[in-house]
Amino acid sequence: MDIRKESDEEDLISANKQLVLQKKENEKLIAELSIANKELAFQKEEKGKRAAELGIANIELAFQDDEKGKRAAELGIANKELVFQDEEKEKRAAELGIANIELLFQNEEKEKRAAELGIANIELVFQNEEKEKRAVELGIANKELVFQNEEKEKRAAELIIANKELVFQNEEKEKRAAELIIANKELAFQNEEKEKRAAELIIANKELLAFTYVSSHDLQEPLRKIQTFVTIILENENKNLSENGKYNFQRMQLAAGRMQQLIDDLLSFSRINTTELKFEKTDLNIIIEEVKTELKDTIQEKHAIIEVAEQCSANIIAFQFRQLMYNLISNALKFSQPNIPSHIVIKSRIVKGSKLNNSKLSPDKNYCHITVADNGIGFESHFSERIFEVFQKLHSKEVYSGTGIGLAIVKKIVENHNGIIIATGELNKGATFDIYFPSN
Amino acid sequence: MSFKHLNILLADDDTDDCIFFKQALHELILPTSLTAVHDGEQLMQFLTDETNELPHILFLDLNMPRKNGFECLSEIKLSEKLKQLPVIVFSTSFEQEVVNMLYQNGAQYFIRKPSEFSQFKKIIQQSLTLVAQGDISQPTKENFVLTVQNG
Repeated sequence: MDIRKESDEEDLISANKQLVLQKKENEKLIAELSIANKELAFQKEEKGKRAAELGIANIELAFQDDEKGKRAAELGIANKELVFQDEEKEKRAAELGIANIELLFQNEEKEKRAAELGIANIELVFQNEEKEKRAVELGIANKELVFQNEEKEKRAAELIIANKELVFQNEEKEKRAAELIIANKELAFQNEEKEKRAAELIIANKELLAFTYVSSHDLQEPLRKIQTFVTIILENENKNLSENGKYNFQRMQLAAGRMQQLIDDLLSFSRINTTELKFEKTDLNIIIEEVKTELKDTIQEKHAIIEVAEQCSANIIAFQFRQLMYNLISNALKFSQPNIPSHIVIKSRIVKGSKLNNSKLSPDKNYCHITVADNGIGFESHFSERIFEVFQKLHSKEVYSGTGIGLAIVKKIVENHNGIIIATGELNKGATFDIYFPSN
Repeated sequence: MSFKHLNILLADDDTDDCIFFKQALHELILPTSLTAVHDGEQLMQFLTDETNELPHILFLDLNMPRKNGFECLSEIKLSEKLKQLPVIVFSTSFEQEVVNMLYQNGAQYFIRKPSEFSQFKKIIQQSLTLVAQGDISQPTKENFVLTVQNG
């Protein structure tokens, strides 16, 4: 029995506590009711204030209505203003339409320009590429130039060496020049000596010419007079002379005639060397024609035919060649066969030395080859050299007159032309003279 | 043949040639009169002397003392008064260069003195005939040297 008593004590303590708590709750409610009362008194005061404020707000509203009427009137005016503004806006819109078309056109133009610019751009791009290529090439060229510069420097260095060499050579040349000056003086001295000799030769030549002239004139004059006197005697004193006397005078006349011929021929022979040797291009045909004219009496007398075939021109001493042709043709006429008309054939042509097979002729030179062939009495072939010697004759003067100088003159003239002459003959079959001399 | 009278002047220093010339003229029996001078100076004096009648023809030798035939020919051809005078050069020798020079200097003819007297006469006759016919213009070069024409 203890546990129960304890429970009842506890229940009483709890109920007491409960009662204390309720009392406290009551007291709280009384406090809260007093506060709520006070609140209600405050709210009543507030409602009076709100009613006063509403009266004031009403007055305010009435004023605002008036203001609204005024605003409506103002809006009417503003509306009219807007209508006007609408019209203006339409006008502006029409204008804008036109302006738009204009803008479209401008846009098209701009597009065209843009297209053109596109092309130009492509072009520029291409040019840029080209420039880049050029730049690359220039780069290469630059390298090349750099290389060349280096080479030039090397050359310059070499030139400096070459220059030094030249300077050395110049010095050597100056030495040589000095030596040449000495040699020149020596030559000048020798030249003077030569000129002296030449002057002496000119004088000697003049003397020789004078001698020739004197011979031709003075030797012939007495001779001619002997002949003339003989003919006067034979003509005028004929009847006073015995036959023997006449015969002796005739022999005298022949002797004088031969002497005259001899002087003439000797003069021709010496003249070949004393006269000036002037070579000139001459047509051989002209010379042959001149000689034929000179010999026309003999040609007629002998009934001779002179055949001239294929003539050329040659560089010759004309007057000497005339003499040569004269001697050869007159020889051919003189040594013609009795009772057979003389036939003389003269040819000339230019021939290459290599085709002539003669050791005395140069194979590289061109030669003028002249042939004079006749059908006369000819000669034994072993005389072919001797007939060119001075005073050498094959016949007695009683049969064929002559001094033995004619062919010697011919040979001398050929030699003056640096040529050779070859005689070929056969007794009673004619003679041929071949002349070769350089044609230029 | 009618032959007008000719005054002939011969310039030659050689006595023999003068004799031949006179004899030839004598034998030819031509109406001529001959005057002879014996060197170049005498010749020029004779020709320039106003009192002398000018000859119709002059035979001129080349080799003469004091003044030779070339000099005389040049003087004659340079003189206004004398240049019409036909000059026939009469020489012993024949040289082509001499002949060419004489032709250039205006001689009328060149004759080489023939050694045969008959030829001597003929050539004088030929030349006198040519001058007597009034033919005193200089011939062509080919006909300058006068030779004896046969026949």
